[in-house]
This record gives sequence, structure tokens and C-alpha cells, in this order.
Amino acid sequence: MASGDTLLVFNAHSMTPDASAGATPDTRNNHPVWDFDASTDEIVYVEAVMPRSYVGGGITVVLHWMASSATSGNAVWSVAFERHDDDAVDLDSDSFATANTATDACASATGEVAYTSIAFTDGAQIDSIAAGESFRLKISRLGSNGSDNMSGDAELLTVELKET
Amino acid sequence: MALTTPQARACWKEVMDDLSNKREVILIDKNVLLDTINAIDAWIVSNATNFNQALPLAARQNLTASQKTRLLMAVARRRFIGDG
Repeated sequence: MASGDTLLVFNAHSMTPDASAGATPDTRNNHPVWDFDASTDEIVYVEAVMPRSYVGGGITVVLHWMASSATSGNAVWSVAFERHDDDAVDLDSDSFATANTATDACASATGEVAYTSIAFTDGAQIDSIAAGESFRLKISRLGSNGSDNMSGDAELLTVELKET
Repeated sequence: MALTTPQARACWKEVMDDLSNKREVILIDKNVLLDTINAIDAWIVSNATNFNQALPLAARQNLTASQKTRLLMAVARRRFIGDG
């Protein structure tokens, strides 16, 4: 695949909340979303298989989200990859690579969608995931981060993985 | 006595959850919102005696602090938020 091509797309129905710090499922005008709190860190996970068409370059994760109430302010997002390679990783414990983060402003109206891109280089940043391998993404809003100053929830709608 | 930091943050979270659930637009960031909650708390502490003095003597002497507070909330709600 070429640079910029889409690898995978996820909607809210494909995401699972963390057992103890999970985001909250919600709908906005019949759009399924996950609500991420402003005062604490909350998490959802998504499982997938890296497409066979992936040629091994960097990956950019694009988060599509709305603010529940805010029309200004920044949310801090964090994404981490966890590779599930053949006969190697025990899923009874987590093994995420170091997360990458992005601080991004909400859209200018609460029902409008903001696009936040987080780039990962090939290799350690994506936990060395190869084509055809199972993996998991950990997506968090870091509400406790000092740079996150947006009032109210952030509503995660969809996520795209594309070749950088 | 002013709210403790955990109490102020719990109030802050409650207010933001309510705004989010209503999807009500808010034009200040969350740090200013927390400062606002602390300012309101400081104003309440400073004006608690004046509030109590404004009540009829029988109410001042016979209502509990919780009852007086609920009355204040009821009147403020009716005046500034409406019948809902």
C-alpha cells in the first residue's frame, strides 16, 4: 500500500472499555460514541489484524471525536500498540509499547468532529507488528494531564489507521 | 471552612458530567471552571453570616444548616434556572 492509504477503520461498536478506567458508551444523534471524562484518564481498547497489504512503514492513527459541551480547549489523547505475535505473547498480562500522545483542540462547535493524528514510526513504536498479526490498540484521553484543559467529555466516534 | 481539594474536584466533576450529559455549551476551559467553583465556595464562606442574618428569626433559630442550604438552592434555582 502507498503512503496515506487506509489500513483499518474502527467505529465505537468495535471498542471495549477498560475494566477499571473505561470510557462510557453513549450515543449522539444515533451515532455511537465513547465518552471520555475531563477529570480523569479513561481508556478503550480495539482488537484487529494488521492487513496483509501492510508493507511495514510507519502508521498514523487518526481519532475522530467531538466535545460534549466545549467549543474551545485541548484534549490530550494517548495511543499505544500491543502485538500478539504467534505463540509468543501471553494475553493474561498487558504488553503495550510506549504510548504516543497528541494535544489537540476540539472543534469549534460541539457537534462537529475534530481529527487528531498521532504518528508512529515502524518498529518499536508499533510494538513491531507485522502484516497478518493480531494486535490491540489502547486509546486514552488523559484528562488528568495538565495540557488537557477542555471542559466536559470528549466523544470518540471512529478511528482510522493509515500508512504514514 | 472552605471545601477541601477533593470536595472541590468532586463538585467540578459533577458539574462537567451534568454539562456533558445535557450537551450544554460551556465557553470556559476546565481550569477556569475549577477556579470558579473555588471562588463560589470562598464567596459562600465569606457571606454565610450575612445569609443567616437575612432569614426571619424563627427560621434562623429553628432550621438546620442543611434545611437553610436547600432553601437557598431552591430559591436560586427558581430565580436563575427556572421551574425545571
